[in-house]
Amino acid sequence: MARQGQWELIIGLEVHVQLNTRSKAFCGDATTFGAPPNTQTSPVSLGHPGTLPRLNEAQVRAAVKLGLALGSTIAVRTAFDRKNYFYTDLPKGYQITQDAVPICGGGVLPIKLGDQWKEVGIHHIHMEEDAGKSIHDQDPEHSLIDLNRTGVPLLEVVTEPELHSADEVDAFMSAMRQLVRYLGISDGNMEQGSLRCDVNISVRPKGSTTYGTRCEVKNLNSMRHARRAIAYEASRQIALLESGQPVGRYTLHFDAATGRTSPLRDKEAAHDYRYFPEPDLPPLALSASFIESVRAELPPLPKALYEWMRISCGLGDYEATLLSEQLDTALFFRALTQHTPHHHKAANLVINKVLPWCKAKGITLSDFPVPQTSLAELIELVVVGVISHTVAWQELFELLCEAPHQHPKDLAQAHDLVQQSDGDALKAIATEVLAAWPDKVVAYQKGKKGLIGFFMGQLMRRMRGKADPKRANQILRQLLENCQ
Amino acid sequence: MHIDDKLISRLELLTRLRLRGSERERLRADLEKMLSMVDKLSELDLSEVMPLTHITDVWNNWRADEVCGQLSREEALRNAPDTDGIFFRVPKVIQSKSKST
Repeated sequence: MARQGQWELIIGLEVHVQLNTRSKAFCGDATTFGAPPNTQTSPVSLGHPGTLPRLNEAQVRAAVKLGLALGSTIAVRTAFDRKNYFYTDLPKGYQITQDAVPICGGGVLPIKLGDQWKEVGIHHIHMEEDAGKSIHDQDPEHSLIDLNRTGVPLLEVVTEPELHSADEVDAFMSAMRQLVRYLGISDGNMEQGSLRCDVNISVRPKGSTTYGTRCEVKNLNSMRHARRAIAYEASRQIALLESGQPVGRYTLHFDAATGRTSPLRDKEAAHDYRYFPEPDLPPLALSASFIESVRAELPPLPKALYEWMRISCGLGDYEATLLSEQLDTALFFRALTQHTPHHHKAANLVINKVLPWCKAKGITLSDFPVPQTSLAELIELVVVGVISHTVAWQELFELLCEAPHQHPKDLAQAHDLVQQSDGDALKAIATEVLAAWPDKVVAYQKGKKGLIGFFMGQLMRRMRGKADPKRANQILRQLLENCQ
Repeated sequence: MHIDDKLISRLELLTRLRLRGSERERLRADLEKMLSMVDKLSELDLSEVMPLTHITDVWNNWRADEVCGQLSREEALRNAPDTDGIFFRVPKVIQSKSKST
């Protein structure tokens, strides 16, 4: 059995982000996921001789946007290269990619591990195109090829080898998915292949400063598979090293059915991509004004919003994580805080009422009907004690959603939801309650002070939840002490 | 540079071409000529010269992100060596279930 404790796991990722552009990277074919096979192609994506690629501006904008968000350096002069290899779902015989000068270099992605942040170094980001899809299990004699995906624009994000566990890989992929969704450049959906990763894994004795031989596990399209592949590879490599055998440098395929990895091809022998500059595409010169126009489109980023919620709004980790998970939620909450100083109540309202309401109605937050000023007013009514928290959250909120342009206070009055804090009225009801339960009054006076909750419950029931709980509690205690 | 048999075999593998004996001989001679010309060029000191990768002075030339110029499936499959009417059909490539870049 491998003793994992004495080994350190070193992991670097190559993350493929499939962009959500309308058309492909180098021609006008549509990119709709799930379209019938071979209905989104053209002479360019089919690799017919004599055709010429022409670059989609949206791919460049997406690359620069991601680069700026990660703090990368944007290459003002860049170009494409050809990566030559032979495979049936690559009709041209080469992939258009960037090798010599990728569009973005350096940068970091902050990932959250528990309540600690870790900055994972980005080596570079380059633009490239996707290959088609081969289906090997539908026909006993043949492989079937669907070229709809051929030429769909991708960004490949290559990290530094700075991840050390499956948990960190998980956190990185979650942060990347969140970021590309914030930026609106990809749907980030791993199940549909919009976000995939190749995992480079090696192990070394703890404390060592040199890297072991790494293996690359290709094309993991779910975090569950990535976790299993990493666990399997780590123990396989450790077992080899502990028995004195070297780890060979392989490209591996992960078999989800068996949970094992197996060599896809021998990296030393078969890999000869013969990169050279792509002659069919002119080089790129990115002007400062172009880069600034992309920068102007950047939304606030997840970590900044999370920290603003923690520090400026005083929210806890749970609330801040939830509210910053998606950009529209974070911006909705931020807009609400412009109208109310009660940030905890605002967070509670968004998390427990607004989001579930939208989910139940199947609408997005941008279609939520109640103006933020009204939500702020509803919170204010609770804070000053005009209506109880329970009534506000359970009844008034629903009424407001049905009549979004009414004032919460008017609605509360019209539906008789205003809280009773008038002393005389409360005292009369409290006296009724105590008279109805004389034995419990005696028990209370003999020391069963917990019964105050019972009396409160009875009082609230009689007042249909509209009593000001603080005042009511005060009056009940007074009456109980005095009639002793 | 000497082109040996091993290198010819490697090029055969990379290009997916199968060469006959006489073709190998001819290609070896051609490649040696080409490489000796490159060797000749290498005599120049070009350390100060930027590599020329593109011969026109065109930059960027991007297109807007719009869908246009698609083929129907029938048109797309018209030049396929083999098809079932939906997919391109090729000899079985690998045993395992799926593979892509």
